[in-house]
Amino acid sequence: MTKPTDVAVEKHDAATEPPESYFVPATDVYETTDGLTLVAEMPGVTPDGLRVTVDENVLVLRADPAPADEAGDVLLKEFEVGPFYRAFRLPADYDAQKIDATLKQGLLSLRLPKSDRLKPRRIEVTVE
Amino acid sequence: MALVPYRGRTMPTTTLSSLRDEMNDLFSRFWTSATEPFGLAEWSPALDISETDEAVLVHAEIPGIDPKALDISVVGDTLTIRGEKRDATEQAGRNYHRVERRYGSFTRSLVLPASVEADQVTATAKQGVLEIRLPKSQEARAKRIQVTGT
Repeated sequence: MTKPTDVAVEKHDAATEPPESYFVPATDVYETTDGLTLVAEMPGVTPDGLRVTVDENVLVLRADPAPADEAGDVLLKEFEVGPFYRAFRLPADYDAQKIDATLKQGLLSLRLPKSDRLKPRRIEVTVE
Repeated sequence: MALVPYRGRTMPTTTLSSLRDEMNDLFSRFWTSATEPFGLAEWSPALDISETDEAVLVHAEIPGIDPKALDISVVGDTLTIRGEKRDATEQAGRNYHRVERRYGSFTRSLVLPASVEADQVTATAKQGVLEIRLPKSQEARAKRIQVTGT
């Protein structure tokens, strides 16, 4: 099945040391006839702080949100700001060169077009 | 060493504060489970609130919400934030493999720690983080009293 799966961080991130602790962004993944879309919640992340890489079919999302200006006395803390990290193993049938990424309102959307081979094809029946 | 449950969205904490979190979590689950099944509770944004001498600052995580569609009001010393995170999972032609984001409409009200100038409240949203700045009223501002004497 063409279903992306989570992969362990350590195995694929030996080159760059991951931070000791990171947030795992909540991600929706859906498939349409054209391709696969990942939508990840990364509040506070700017395009400068975001890195999306694909290496051997492993899609890695890394982001460092801008630190919040910690002014005054904290009265309530329901969320903290820290780096995001998540890795997905992609099915082999997606072309990493054609991934389209947009960041809007703290939401990262990645569109992965399907290779032509995977697209559903309707076969016209000719009546003689 | 005792096994510690994996906590995805928390930074490293001391044993004591994570114990406190566990207990808080247990209690909050206890109170919500009567009406809502586990994990299906309506979403509402996480808030950070801080206070300076001049203002009360409220930060909220609102990824994917159009800030213009938010309804923010101050009545007396109560701040209310209303909004909706629209559920797109029902759209036709989408075959979902994962649904981890949470959706729904929400209302959060909180009593402010000081009286504020309601007509000078500003709200800005940047990359899915909302900041509401509520300047304190003159009476509520901290005044430094100079001690005179010899």
